Amino acid sequence: MENSNQKVWYITGASKGLGLALVKQLLNEGKKVAATSRSIEELKKAIGDADNFLPLQVNLLSEESIEKSIQATVAQFGRVDVIVNNAGYGLAGALEELTDVEARQNFDVNVFGSLNVIRKVLPYLRKQQSGHIFNVSSIGGFTGAFPGFGIYCATKFAVQGFTESLAEEVKPFGIKATIVSPGYFRTDFLKDSSLSVPKNQLQEYKTVRDVQSAHENEINGNQPGDPHKAALAFIRTAEMQNPPVHLFLGQDAYAMAEVKIQSVKENMEAVREYAAATGFDN
Amino acid sequence: MKTDKIWYVTGASKGLGLTLVKKLLATGYKVAATSRNAATLSEAVGAGNSENFLPLEVDLVDEQSVAESIRRTQEVYGKIDVIVNNAGYGIGGTIEELSQEEISEAFNINVFGTINVIKYAMPYLRAQRSGYIINISSIAGFAPATGWSIYAAAKHAIIGLSESLADDVRQLGTKVTAIAPGAFRTQFLTKESLVFAENSIEDYEEVHASHDKFHKMNGNQLGDPEKAAEVMIHLAESDNPPVRLYLGSDAYRRASAKLGTLTQMLEDWKDTTLSTDFQE
Repeated sequence: MENSNQKVWYITGASKGLGLALVKQLLNEGKKVAATSRSIEELKKAIGDADNFLPLQVNLLSEESIEKSIQATVAQFGRVDVIVNNAGYGLAGALEELTDVEARQNFDVNVFGSLNVIRKVLPYLRKQQSGHIFNVSSIGGFTGAFPGFGIYCATKFAVQGFTESLAEEVKPFGIKATIVSPGYFRTDFLKDSSLSVPKNQLQEYKTVRDVQSAHENEINGNQPGDPHKAALAFIRTAEMQNPPVHLFLGQDAYAMAEVKIQSVKENMEAVREYAAATGFDN
Repeated sequence: MKTDKIWYVTGASKGLGLTLVKKLLATGYKVAATSRNAATLSEAVGAGNSENFLPLEVDLVDEQSVAESIRRTQEVYGKIDVIVNNAGYGIGGTIEELSQEEISEAFNINVFGTINVIKYAMPYLRAQRSGYIINISSIAGFAPATGWSIYAAAKHAIIGLSESLADDVRQLGTKVTAIAPGAFRTQFLTKESLVFAENSIEDYEEVHASHDKFHKMNGNQLGDPEKAAEVMIHLAESDNPPVRLYLGSDAYRRASAKLGTLTQMLEDWKDTTLSTDFQE
């Protein structure tokens, strides 16, 4: 039986945020880590040099770039076991305000980038009949109770949708898939570098402007989640025989998930007559 | 029954969209309906030259085309009240089998088309301080089936943006419902509405076997499209439509089961979930 220390990790978007915290913790524990970023310099600056560390400059929209990075990982460490699709960014704005380009860029990074990585890494994982794919969604991918974040929620909901299906489709090969839904963690996420806002802002969307301002000001820097502890939770979960498909991180995420489940239940009961009214009479 | 609301329905040449448009016209509503091909649409609806029916040839991925169709609806009927984002198609295949292009195309129709319609309808709905948007998701948008990963992703996205949109536009007088239908007896399970990955990887035999089951279900779906149309009309006339509506006893059953699974998972992993906050 292999020792978990021999597991090789591949983490996207690792130059900041939860990805960075995870890489640092893994390296502290002596694990082997391949990490990607758009800029290899930023990655090296953030992490420094380590024996078990392979920094990779990757464009997640290019299947070719991803494929090369996975080949490099396998060439360096002999295999790849745990994939963390962490790259992503927040986008505030009402649907009406955001341009097609702004919305599509958010989908490119938050959704299509992860799909590209999964498509390119699965041949390796299927061959070795093992592996674990973590897709970092958000509590905003479980509940859309985030006014002013419609597109961001759509991207993170999408991640949950395909990961649930993925978990089933790769089960026969001994591969696991987990959706991670963090609440607010104290990273750079709400700073300009990670949170985009619409170029075209309509003042009439008062709720949206209020929410945007709250995220840029009051919430930024006061998030309850500790990125280091999130890293520990990832590592523990990767060592489990039967990891969950859904992993919520943070008291806030837990509370919001509970509220969502409850509100869907109430919703279903309130409109039950509709749900049952559409069958054929025969 | 009052029938003064103006409807705008996308993807109306078949399926739930077509049934809805026919029912609306039979009830006396005015309907603008879109399809990629106006002639096919008119033929399918069979309303002749009725002044209550405005067939529109629209490419939902093209913002200008969408904007023009909404402007035209406003011009012909003087207002727009109910938007039904119904256009969409199913896409089967595993993530590894589906190409970037296949995925991109599925998101174009199932997600970005809907976003485009909302974006260009909102200025009119805001100005009149009323409106109702129905986004057709799927039970796969809450409780996905194996082998439909990208369809599930697109339909999840619709639920996510609908929930957030509902909050954004409430103060502006617009209501939003995401409908998650189960299987309805439409053409959805025929090759006109279902696409499968070109690249088939042998290893995924279980997924391919499950796809065959879907084909066999064609013609035996539990849901009656006529009744789904009646529910949509009823929702549009009600004061407080729900943000989410699961439609069909199969959708209800799958959603209930999913809620059970989620509740269990949330509790089983509670210790890990609560272990990551700062101590302060």
